[in-house]
Amino acid sequence: MSALTIEHGCARATEQLVPVICKLVDISTETSDVKAFRVQTLDGQRPFDCSPGQTAMLSVIPYGECMFCVSAQGEDYLEFTVKRVGYVTEQLHALTLGDTVGLRGPYGNWFPTEGLKGKDVLFVGGGIGLAPLRALLTYLLDHRESYGRIDLVYSGSTRDDLLFLDDIFHVWPKQPDVHMHTSVYRESADWSGEVSYTAPYLEKLAFSPEGRVAVLCGGPSLFRTCLASLLKLGFDPGSIITTLEMRMKCGIGKCGRCNVGSKYICLDGPVFTMAELEDLPWSAD
Amino acid sequence: MLLAKDQLAALLEQLSKGSARLYVPARVDATTRFALFEPGIKTAFHLVNTTLPPKDLLFPQTQKMYRYGFDEQGIPYIDPVHDDDEVIAFGLRPCDMASIDCMDAVFLTKGYEDEFYAPRRKRLLTVVIGCTAPAQTCFCDSMAGDASTAPTADIQLNETADGSAYAVLANTPKGEAALTDWSGFLSDAKAPELLHAECSLKVSMEGIKQKLDTMYEHPLWERIAKKCVTCGACTYVCPTCHCFDISQENRMKEGERFRSWDSCMFSSYTLMAGDHNPRADKMPRVRQRFLHKLCFFEDRYGRSLCVGCGRCVEKCPVALDITELIDEIGAL
Repeated sequence: MSALTIEHGCARATEQLVPVICKLVDISTETSDVKAFRVQTLDGQRPFDCSPGQTAMLSVIPYGECMFCVSAQGEDYLEFTVKRVGYVTEQLHALTLGDTVGLRGPYGNWFPTEGLKGKDVLFVGGGIGLAPLRALLTYLLDHRESYGRIDLVYSGSTRDDLLFLDDIFHVWPKQPDVHMHTSVYRESADWSGEVSYTAPYLEKLAFSPEGRVAVLCGGPSLFRTCLASLLKLGFDPGSIITTLEMRMKCGIGKCGRCNVGSKYICLDGPVFTMAELEDLPWSAD
Repeated sequence: MLLAKDQLAALLEQLSKGSARLYVPARVDATTRFALFEPGIKTAFHLVNTTLPPKDLLFPQTQKMYRYGFDEQGIPYIDPVHDDDEVIAFGLRPCDMASIDCMDAVFLTKGYEDEFYAPRRKRLLTVVIGCTAPAQTCFCDSMAGDASTAPTADIQLNETADGSAYAVLANTPKGEAALTDWSGFLSDAKAPELLHAECSLKVSMEGIKQKLDTMYEHPLWERIAKKCVTCGACTYVCPTCHCFDISQENRMKEGERFRSWDSCMFSSYTLMAGDHNPRADKMPRVRQRFLHKLCFFEDRYGRSLCVGCGRCVEKCPVALDITELIDEIGAL
């Protein structure tokens, strides 16, 4: 199979460091600690064009900025799916419809939508890791005829930690040749599906690497175990794509903190193949 | 052209009256740094290096980026803050100039010209004085530099062998144009023999980068890191360390967001939400600093991020010496 080509060093931001003031036009509660925010410019436009996998710096203006992937976009909005885990996200979760936020971007590269054409795509994600995957998955569904079979192996700690319930249970399963494999780590009365960690479930499903690309996103332990499982299933590191996280401040490859060796995740990434990461001083820990 | 040494004070006096702000090496409080030339300044041209590097002229320790708040109608605003002063840095050393070259690579290339650095850089005139007596900790000529010359400086001064004057050379059109302001202080005399200096501290960089490429997991890092107290002094005095944080300060309904120097020596530097930290321990942070200086930067920008100024060697409280590290790697 031909190696995937991923763009790197993608300086496409319309704003470097100074955000544009935007407003929240929709807020949906995904789980007890995850909300999705739709963001629009004050004059009702989508803040900027971006490709699936790109990120942006969203700020609750007086409190600070954080980098998030764009989890979805529409004609006139960008959507960010944000877990409440720290100072800024706490403030973000407290905002209400019509409140203003700052936004700058888009930063970094994107998933190789060209290179994936004609291929089967296996998404593997856990918890909030579905947010960046969803941007790509939605893109593939919007261009369904160009791509092969789509599988999503998705997991959450409990039923209540699963994101995008409408998508994973109702919308996506009805799409042509889309196959959902959802599991939880801890069973509960309202869950009748698979109870399993992601990696063993992935191995049990025994996906063939033939003509298939895996796209992986999750926390360090999910990442490590699922990567091992994918390699065990025979996937070539060049056919495993991931999107990395690091602490970021500038987004334009200057402030220094998101480097992995000579690469800056904000500018050269966040999307890499595992074959590329093998050449960098990087580990899932 | 020559600038007689006894004309230097008068030249500085005149330049300080121009539209550009003039910065010179000076003693300020308990330290030495580039300071605004004003009455009563304790200039320190005799120093080989100022304790603090000149990087803050381009990359201030704290730099306001924009103000934000709500106007009387309750409409939110964001106003970028840009200053437009011309600046002359007079009395840089060749290693300082090399460090500006490094900063230029970071802030002006790879897709984005930093909107707060680029205007300052365009308005900076660099005047370098070649060294005649490098310090014991100087090793610029081992790091692809030279103690006497600074080819990217706008204007370069070199002491004549008799010590009475500086030979003046404009390396750039900008330097050439600036020299018109100096004309009353220059003589057309041909420069006699110039002093050329060499560093006594030497390291061999041959093969170091190639070795480091394969040394990410080497046990040496644990041992090197052991004595580091992660005080961050090395990054503070380093003329090329350019990492920054972005933060904000609020007053009532207004505030400003600014960037400020940060250090890869601190654990909070890479601390992420959810308490995940790829460089939580000291060893990965010490390794990061040295590999960034000697390896990663070269991969990305084609040159070393160490200019051999010796400030970190001088200031490290536990004598963690980058030249000893280079020697040790060379001997492996």
